[in-house]
Amino acid sequence: MMNNTSKTALIKPKVSAKNKIGKQLTNEQKNQHKSLITRLAQRSIFRNTRRTFLTILLISSSLVAILFTDAFVKGMVNTMVKISTQTFLGEGQIHQRGFREANDIDLYIKDSRKLYQQLNDIKEIQAYAPRVLTGAMTSSSENVASTIIYGVDAEKEAQVSKLKQAMTQGKYLSGIEDEIVIGEQLADLLAVNLGDRLVVTVSQAHGGDLSQALFRVSGVFSFNERAMDIGMAFINLSHGQKLLNINGVHEVALRLHNLEQADDMTLAFWQTLNNESIESLNWRTLVPQLSSMLAMTNYSTLIVSIIMYLLVSLGLINTMFMSIFERQTEFGILLAIGTRSKQLFYQIVLEGLFIGLISVIVGLVLALILCYWGSLVGIDYSELEMSGLTLNEPIYLIIDITSFITLGLATLAVTIIACIYPALHAAKLQPSFAMRKTY
Amino acid sequence: MTNLVNNPPATALENDPDSKRNIVIETRDLCREFGTGDTLVKALSKANITIERGEFTAIIGPSGSGKSTLLQLIGGLDIPSHGDVFLDNKNISHMTGSELSDFRRDHIGFIFQAYNLIPVLSARENIEYIMLLQGVPSVERTKRVDMIMHAVGLEGLGNRRPAELSGGQQQRVAVARAMVSKPSIILADEPTANLDSKTGSELLNMMKELNEQQHMTFVFSTHDPKIMERARRIIRLVDGCVVEDERKD
Repeated sequence: MMNNTSKTALIKPKVSAKNKIGKQLTNEQKNQHKSLITRLAQRSIFRNTRRTFLTILLISSSLVAILFTDAFVKGMVNTMVKISTQTFLGEGQIHQRGFREANDIDLYIKDSRKLYQQLNDIKEIQAYAPRVLTGAMTSSSENVASTIIYGVDAEKEAQVSKLKQAMTQGKYLSGIEDEIVIGEQLADLLAVNLGDRLVVTVSQAHGGDLSQALFRVSGVFSFNERAMDIGMAFINLSHGQKLLNINGVHEVALRLHNLEQADDMTLAFWQTLNNESIESLNWRTLVPQLSSMLAMTNYSTLIVSIIMYLLVSLGLINTMFMSIFERQTEFGILLAIGTRSKQLFYQIVLEGLFIGLISVIVGLVLALILCYWGSLVGIDYSELEMSGLTLNEPIYLIIDITSFITLGLATLAVTIIACIYPALHAAKLQPSFAMRKTY
Repeated sequence: MTNLVNNPPATALENDPDSKRNIVIETRDLCREFGTGDTLVKALSKANITIERGEFTAIIGPSGSGKSTLLQLIGGLDIPSHGDVFLDNKNISHMTGSELSDFRRDHIGFIFQAYNLIPVLSARENIEYIMLLQGVPSVERTKRVDMIMHAVGLEGLGNRRPAELSGGQQQRVAVARAMVSKPSIILADEPTANLDSKTGSELLNMMKELNEQQHMTFVFSTHDPKIMERARRIIRLVDGCVVEDERKD
């Protein structure tokens, strides 16, 4: 039997967790450990080249899909907003208060000259287009149709909307009193051609007396938008004011220097253009259904990202586990000869980091090439209608460098996180169990 | 001299302070069981062994007798079901994972039957691996690796990966790796089982030489008569029990 002193010494062993050479690891020694782990991780990822290549392909193609979706969604949003605002709406509009809700032609902006002076002084406003508008009955010798008649200032309108560019036959408004331009489908419905006569019947302001005027079709337009092409007709502003018996305008469409100014309602000019008699609204308020659809569209990137990241995680966990099971004996040896579980954990996470880094670089390059191509040639969705808007021009992908950086880093983070579970599994291996295959 | 271990021989050693200082391995009532209930298997049963510094010991016995289990428990690679293992007078049975890792790194060298080198590291890197973990300075590392490679006859093969070496060369690397960090105990599980007779003999002679020069304690688990011939002490296991402990004079 042992005496008490030696028994205590045996029962309370205190093994130094520090290294054998010194009491504490120096920075150089810590660097040696890091270098060792890094070397093992670097070499291990290319041990099974095919598997590593497939894993890199999985991660990088997922990143490409996410970035492509992001660029596509941004391009689509941009196209839809552009179609919506630049075709006719404008980035903002000014009305007499109550006009939009009641659609009452008596509610028009009376002091339009003063308003124009104000608009000329606002630097954010690139152009503006005054309009009068009302529902009308348009008759030809063949048919009758319900239309919205717009009286527009031809020159100013051309700076705000695409009416002038949309002309397919005849000529744009020139100021001649009886000229009218109508949509292609309306021309078909009324069975009229250039030069044919149309009678427009409207209800006048200040009493609602009926007023009729004779026009000759001077031009035909097509916005590639059915509702506009069958339901709109344009006459000169002065003629419209006379027809409706008003001395002012119902609407002033605004073209701003950039879209962001339309979205920022805190800008001073929006406050200036809102008072007790007139209201100024941006396109989001004017077309709320488009705004909410776009808000939903932004989630699509998030949803695609979540699905892709889930696939990436599962794929990577599978790969890492395959790799770990394959190298179980080796891990057992590393643990047996003194590698700490923590070091093994770091080694596997580092392998994930290296795979992630390579994948992200490959993915970013591929995505950049693909999105750049998409930004040049566009993706044609002609005639597709979404939320009442016809996509009448291709969707050009928008490369957002912030998205590339953010999603690239997110992919890297996902790969590292996905490696934690297999790394923990490896770190918890019992050396004798791990080596059992060959030990 | 033959000793049946039903009467453990430790008492005389324990009462002698000089002998006690020389004990590097001591197991007390060491048991290892696998499974539970009807499937319970007693791989090792109440093994009491003491091994002194510098001994060249062979643990022998038929397959399934518990040789490898005993070696794993001595090396801290497995956790005993009951009993204690003392290495260099330290009870390793209750150490935490990282304490045990550090203890193995600093006190025990392992040589395995299947060489078990790290395939992505060169022979030289495999040998210096433990020293890197220990934080041995670069100059010292290089010196020691050069010396041990010379001692085991691996000069000029340092940059080769394990796959580029023969079985005998790989086992030499394993021996060099086990010894380079100057551990007090070398545990070798069937180190010659995968080698041809000539290579096995050469390797054993080399280990015996290193044992005599550096007074490292060698414990082998083996069936190999060549090891038994060279061993100064033979411990025989049958069905997990130590049935014979023979020291050659």
